[in-house]
Amino acid sequence: MAESRLETVDMFINMGPQHPSTHGVFRMVLTIDGEQIVDMKPHIGYLHRGVEKLAEGLRYREVTVLLDRTDYLAALNNELPYVMALEKLLDVKVPERAEYIRVLVCELNRIASHLMFYGAFGADAGATTPFMYAFRDREEIQHFFEAVTGGRLMHNYFRVGGVRYDLPEDWRERLTKLIPHLRKGIVDCERLLSDNEIFLNRTIGVGQISAADAIDYGLTGPNLRACGVRLDLRRDQPYSVYPKLEFDVPTRSRGDCYDRYLLRVEEMRQSLRIVEQCLEQMPDGPSLGEVPRVIRPKEGEVYVGTENPRGEYGIYLVSRGGDYPYRVKVRAPSFCNLMALNEMMRGCYIADCVLILGSIDIVLGEVDR
Amino acid sequence: MLGMLKGLMTTMQSHFRKPVTIQYPDERPDLPPRYAGFPGLIWDANVGEPFCTGCQVCARFCPTQCIYVTMKDNPKVGDGTSKRRKIVDEFELNVSCCTQCAVCVEVCNFDAIEMTHTFEMASYSREQVMNLQDMLSMKEKGGP
Amino acid sequence: MPEWVESIIRVAIAIGFVLTTVLVLIWLERKVIGHIQQRLGPMRTGFHGFLQSPADAVKLLVKEDIIPAAADRWAFQLAPALVFVPIFLTVVSIPFTRTLVVRNLDLGLFYVFAISSISIVGIVMAGWASGNKYALLGSVRAGAQMVSYEIPLVFSILGVAMVAGSLNLETIVDAQRGLWYIVLQPVGMFIFLVASLAELNRTPFDIPVAESEVVGGPYVEYSGIRWGVFFLSEYANTFIISALAAVVFLAGWRGPLLPGWLWFLIKTYAIILIIFWFRATLPRLRIDQLMTFAWKLLLPLAFVNLLITGLYLVYDWPRWILFVASVAVLAVASRLVYVVGRA
Ligand code: SF4
Ligand code: SF4
Repeated sequence: MAESRLETVDMFINMGPQHPSTHGVFRMVLTIDGEQIVDMKPHIGYLHRGVEKLAEGLRYREVTVLLDRTDYLAALNNELPYVMALEKLLDVKVPERAEYIRVLVCELNRIASHLMFYGAFGADAGATTPFMYAFRDREEIQHFFEAVTGGRLMHNYFRVGGVRYDLPEDWRERLTKLIPHLRKGIVDCERLLSDNEIFLNRTIGVGQISAADAIDYGLTGPNLRACGVRLDLRRDQPYSVYPKLEFDVPTRSRGDCYDRYLLRVEEMRQSLRIVEQCLEQMPDGPSLGEVPRVIRPKEGEVYVGTENPRGEYGIYLVSRGGDYPYRVKVRAPSFCNLMALNEMMRGCYIADCVLILGSIDIVLGEVDR
Repeated sequence: MLGMLKGLMTTMQSHFRKPVTIQYPDERPDLPPRYAGFPGLIWDANVGEPFCTGCQVCARFCPTQCIYVTMKDNPKVGDGTSKRRKIVDEFELNVSCCTQCAVCVEVCNFDAIEMTHTFEMASYSREQVMNLQDMLSMKEKGGP
Repeated sequence: MPEWVESIIRVAIAIGFVLTTVLVLIWLERKVIGHIQQRLGPMRTGFHGFLQSPADAVKLLVKEDIIPAAADRWAFQLAPALVFVPIFLTVVSIPFTRTLVVRNLDLGLFYVFAISSISIVGIVMAGWASGNKYALLGSVRAGAQMVSYEIPLVFSILGVAMVAGSLNLETIVDAQRGLWYIVLQPVGMFIFLVASLAELNRTPFDIPVAESEVVGGPYVEYSGIRWGVFFLSEYANTFIISALAAVVFLAGWRGPLLPGWLWFLIKTYAIILIIFWFRATLPRLRIDQLMTFAWKLLLPLAFVNLLITGLYLVYDWPRWILFVASVAVLAVASRLVYVVGRA
């Protein structure tokens, strides 16, 4: 372009908030030169509902309802840090069975969320079938959730000191049927995309970010591990019963779209391993501990971070006594991961920018809150 | 080319598998007992009145404030057929805001409200509410 | 009956046939892809949703036809016709059987390519006239892609013309007595299929209309029956290209036992099903990779094919040598796909 004497102007193109591949209501204003992106300005806030502020007006028990709706693809994983934070404030002990149930459903939810990523990523790359395969398997997980928590997406299942219901009577049968199904589903998914030359060409080397940059931008979760940094809060700041369970923390080295994709597929396998161990080791006992009838924690503040499918999901909870929380601050992993978007997108093609956004796997409900 | 062939074989195989979808309005989904649809009130068949006393605890705890309930003196107390001194007078649930979170079920001290299997509640207006009669018949509507 | 009346009747029948075929194709695609994705596809209208496409057509007809304020009115309205007409003109020379053809042209093969390439203009026009940036991007992509792929497409079929010694589709079919050209020209067939996928804007080459990137590309502003016409011509084009492949490489109506028209339909639908199958499986290429693929791989491959075919004709090699040489070329090429794609 440089040596041409024709005058060229960059074109602005507005991608989103109504665009099929912005994963909700994200908006990017792209400056493009032909098919190449010169600059990108992200705009967020279209899904802002003021969850943090609303939480200050709700009693402690009801806040989980709101947190379900931040990262709606992994609702149970969001409830976990909140109830853990509250348990810390209240000094409540959680029975072991409840901890196992929590881990079990959280890992299943992680698989469901990664499946959703897989499907959407495939759709971003232009393949239609991955989405349907992912939904086929995700549906099975949600059937299990329906039986356990009563909800499909919004569970409101975790309670201070345990979980709301114990597992249903037929949970073992359901789970033993579900695990092989998922295992087969993951194989299907991998066979469809992982070796496909077109897909490799599209994703390898696209949206690359170095480990140092990733740390500087504050990436967490699969996006960070794809750059080669082995950081997983389940292993490095063990909580719940994770220390008793055996699982690997996979990493990749290149930090491009393909690595992020492959890493998540691998994580699904690891989560499945954890689920299997939970099935074996599930102890008997109560599913809800001794909890005061009225939740009124003493003054204080606490931060709990857990490993969400997207990274570190943290809750900073401040109590000034009384029935209502004083402050519920959410450390949203998608929001932090989104910071690196500009870095990843510089100089890529329009087609790539869709893929890169997909590979970061954001959930707008949590970015905007 | 090999990777593409692998993918092609996968799709070919799944073409011959059984479809996993159901023909929804004709076939009903098979819902587990715990499935949470909209909340409904329970009828006390022994006495012939709802369990609900109209105590308003659920209305206060509901995160979306979609319940409106009032209380009245129970006329059956006088002739001794019922032990409930107060009984629900009006009960309204705003269908468009209920999020099916089951908080109301949890906080009710009389176990008078429970989650039913009703999930089809499309309406033409935002203000559609269910009154006491609807709430009581909810259980029949949504199956078990 | 005067000749012109007969011609008109023949054309009317051919167009009617193609229109019905399009409706069947749309239904078939939804069914096939549905089953590949383990769902059922349309089920409500008619037996297994068979009437779904007519129902959709009626819906499109009664829908409001919106012309955006920013659009160039005339070009916007003219574009669908410009895409639609050439595609239906090509039907004229496709021989369903020896007698079932509107007009057997001596330059049939040439005619089909010459006419069908006009429709590119319509697509570019549609994108430009919409006054929408996504549509513009899409139509620029479409222009680049379709012009690039036209070349390997034509070269791939040149080999056939050389072996058969004619551009007349009937003669080509007759020349395949005993041996189909898929055996003599496997490279040609491969290039033809790949390039025609790109011509048809179908996965994995659906870059101009990429849903997840440019949201439907040139057609993004169209609604109602104008959009329907684009849709229709896309499927009509699919059918015609498949029919052409069946005629040129699979010996058209030739085959034992069954009547000729049935053989023709079986072969055509086999190719169509393969196209659907690709659509359900493959992701989409990126525009630069697409161009690399056309210019660095397909075109040289087509030249190599021509060279081998030429040598075969000049030195009168036995047929198996041509077959073996072609397969070898194809094997080498399939390795090269990867290398070139990387570069
Ligand atoms: S449903 Fe329960 S909590 Fe609500 S008013 Fe009736 S008795 Fe009170
Ligand atoms: S289910 Fe939740 S939202 Fe609905 S009425 Fe009960 S408390 Fe309110």
